[in-house]
Amino acid sequence: MEQLDNPVEVMGIDAGGTMTDTFFVRADGEFVVGKAQSDVDESKAVLESSVDALTHWGRKVDDVFPEMVTCVFSGTAMLNRVVGRKGLRTGLIVSKGFEDFHRMGRALQSYLGYAFEDRIHLNTHRYDEPLVSIKDTRGVTERIDSKGNIVIPVRLHEAKIAARELIEQGCKAIVISFLSSYLDGRHERAVRDVCLEVIKEMGADIPVFASVDYYPVRKESHRTNTTILEAYAAEPSRAILSALSSKMGDHGGTFDLRVMASHGGTIGWKAKELARTLVSGPIGGVIGAKYLGEQLGYENIACSDIGGTSFDMALITKNNFAMHQDGDVARLVLSLPLVSMDTIGAGAGSFVRIDPHSNSIKLGPDSAGYKVGTCWPEGGLTTVSVTDCHILLGYLNPDNFLGGVLKLDVDVAREAVKTQIADPLGLSVEDAAAGVIELLDLSLRQHLRAMITGKGYSPRDFVCFSYGGAGPVHAYGYTKGLGFKETIVPAWAAGFSAFGCATANFEYRYDKSVDIGITKDSSKDDIEKSVKSLQVAWDELKEKVLEEFRINGFKDEDVTLIPGYRMQYLGQLNDLEIDSPLTSLSGADDWDALVQAFDDTYARVYASAARSPELGFGITGAILSGSVETKKPKIPYEPIVGPNPPKEACLGTRPFYYDKKWVDADIYQMEALQPGNKIMGPAIIESDATTFVVPPTFKTFLDEHRLFHLIEC
Amino acid sequence: MSTYTKKQVKDLVDGDLDWDTLHKMLSMPKDIERYSNYVSVLQDQVSWDDKIIIPVGPHLYIVETVKDKELVTKCRCGHGFGDYTLNWKLNALVYIRDSEEKMNQVYPKLMAPDTDWQVYREYYCPTCGTMHDVEVPTPWYPVMHDFEPDIKTFFDWVGLPAPVNA
Repeated sequence: MEQLDNPVEVMGIDAGGTMTDTFFVRADGEFVVGKAQSDVDESKAVLESSVDALTHWGRKVDDVFPEMVTCVFSGTAMLNRVVGRKGLRTGLIVSKGFEDFHRMGRALQSYLGYAFEDRIHLNTHRYDEPLVSIKDTRGVTERIDSKGNIVIPVRLHEAKIAARELIEQGCKAIVISFLSSYLDGRHERAVRDVCLEVIKEMGADIPVFASVDYYPVRKESHRTNTTILEAYAAEPSRAILSALSSKMGDHGGTFDLRVMASHGGTIGWKAKELARTLVSGPIGGVIGAKYLGEQLGYENIACSDIGGTSFDMALITKNNFAMHQDGDVARLVLSLPLVSMDTIGAGAGSFVRIDPHSNSIKLGPDSAGYKVGTCWPEGGLTTVSVTDCHILLGYLNPDNFLGGVLKLDVDVAREAVKTQIADPLGLSVEDAAAGVIELLDLSLRQHLRAMITGKGYSPRDFVCFSYGGAGPVHAYGYTKGLGFKETIVPAWAAGFSAFGCATANFEYRYDKSVDIGITKDSSKDDIEKSVKSLQVAWDELKEKVLEEFRINGFKDEDVTLIPGYRMQYLGQLNDLEIDSPLTSLSGADDWDALVQAFDDTYARVYASAARSPELGFGITGAILSGSVETKKPKIPYEPIVGPNPPKEACLGTRPFYYDKKWVDADIYQMEALQPGNKIMGPAIIESDATTFVVPPTFKTFLDEHRLFHLIEC
Repeated sequence: MSTYTKKQVKDLVDGDLDWDTLHKMLSMPKDIERYSNYVSVLQDQVSWDDKIIIPVGPHLYIVETVKDKELVTKCRCGHGFGDYTLNWKLNALVYIRDSEEKMNQVYPKLMAPDTDWQVYREYYCPTCGTMHDVEVPTPWYPVMHDFEPDIKTFFDWVGLPAPVNA
């Protein structure tokens, strides 16, 4: 039986707001993608989508699920719950006198996520509704100062009253976050235990979250927001994932359902810290690029992901991506370590308008989303989008958009571009549309260049990976003239994020703030003490990480632990995350190794000349990651056939407008192309989910891993 | 360029616009029809026929009279404050809060300014009693003339024909 020789091993799920995509990978690296409309019942949508995917192979869910070894989920439900303020009603207990800090929020939150123009435009600044209402907030008398001393002992009888009131009011979870609790967690833990007692007395069944148990890090607003999300947004997801997991079990699945987390690893759905999975979509691509790079020997990669609404960029240097310590999500400052990415709000579906004052083309910031543009009259849009321009210039095939699901009308798009863009500017329709595309490409190119040169690198040292549904359409445009070593477009660009999720490690990570400062005047004793305090923090985190794996049924000895720390030059504001060169620390002699690792990383991320060790070194945080071995998708491999595309791949020609003239572009069917095939521009390579554009003066070849290499002639 | 319906502009004036549309309106360049739509929404809110030229407060407008095309300041209720180049406050009723007792009517005790160095002057329409403005000057300061618009230039900016007497 073919199935058993070639079982389906890996599944990736991307449950979006409108569509639920599934991605199945066979042992030989072949994969299929399925789609279904998202549903309130997520497990239903996942199953429908799976059925759709597996139909391509003529197989059934009940046969395939038992074969599978791993499944990674990423979804937007949790994020939507936060954005729509539809989370679990949560009660908040804070230090007395500070009841208002959560609803006041950080000033930064009034413009987080805004375009630069709006950041400096005060009228647009706005505070979202707080996650917890002031009516559900209680203060308890206690105080720990900024050095960790207990200044006022906690009054537990107040906590008792607070807990009772919150539960009586109808709160479904209680969060505790006291000032400086990361330095001494005893007050929070004592109040947590009181809450648990009260809950028991009242016969209620609600969870309690003390910030020190989850995110013992400095910055009150960040820590409190994150702990609240654990109750407000993640708790309902636990129920959904539990339902999904048992539904998969019903169909014979014995694999662990894992969820993509913001730190770049996947965690079990039973994880204590589930709020980490709030953002996952764009991160998958970066993880996938890193994996592909490691397998194929690319160590410096510029990742670029262009979808309908945004352009996400990330850098991988020497097989490492940078981490951002305090990520912000949904306009909330959070204590979540996040894979560092730059995002701009311009995508393949951005709206195009004329600025009436400067009489110039303006892109976005809003976009057509699933409504595509004026070329899809059923979408009901009247404003021109970038897609309209692509359609009328022959870049995209109006009869094969999303595999022909949507029929697009070129004439409507042409008329809209003419009246809204071309006529006001006094240009021909073609030149106006080409101008729009050029402007978008230019803007993406500038951001990409700025991200690379801003860190002191040159594009010459990087390979650019281009993915996302629209990546292959724009790859030539935003890499042109930048001088990348190579531009690589995976044939599965549209499913690259889901692929990336499936390549991620099963990895838990815990963070804790520490305060260590060592100058050249520090004594050996000081250093000894500091090194010990870092080791104590690691020990504490290690217990948490191992606990998470125990919940998922792993033994302690199966877990690979990697301690890390955040270090900075004293006097500088930014720290860097370092994987520790030593697995444990015994005394002052280990300090130099920690400093050396930091110095080396600093020189790699910035430049050696920028190092400034004069004032000494500080450690701001302890990190511990633990991972276990998982099954990962294989990268496709097919032997090289030859330079000439097979006959069945050639679909004829189509007029294509480039560089101010119409040319005839050769059209190819992407799936039918064979490894080794060389194609000269102008050519357009089509598949259901994406279109790869190779304009004149460019050429491409497909390698044995189904990666297209785009080359500027 | 964005365009908005008169209904959306009315919701904007009434404060009923959803945040997403409002944010877009704030961020995007103004549409050409905005000012005429805006003024026409205001015109619909009043019962008299004189033409609103520029609003100078939530209930106060500079209008062009139907009769002889004069430009005057006018309350929403129809009360006239005279030529628009003169300070309308000189023809309004004024109430001055210049004692602790009067301040305590609007602020809790000890949370209002010392009236020896700061007073409130409230200006009301003599006909309908609408409060049109509050000044917060030192007690000896003259009545403030807020601003005198250059109507001709403004209409040039918004691309509309200026009133004949501007």
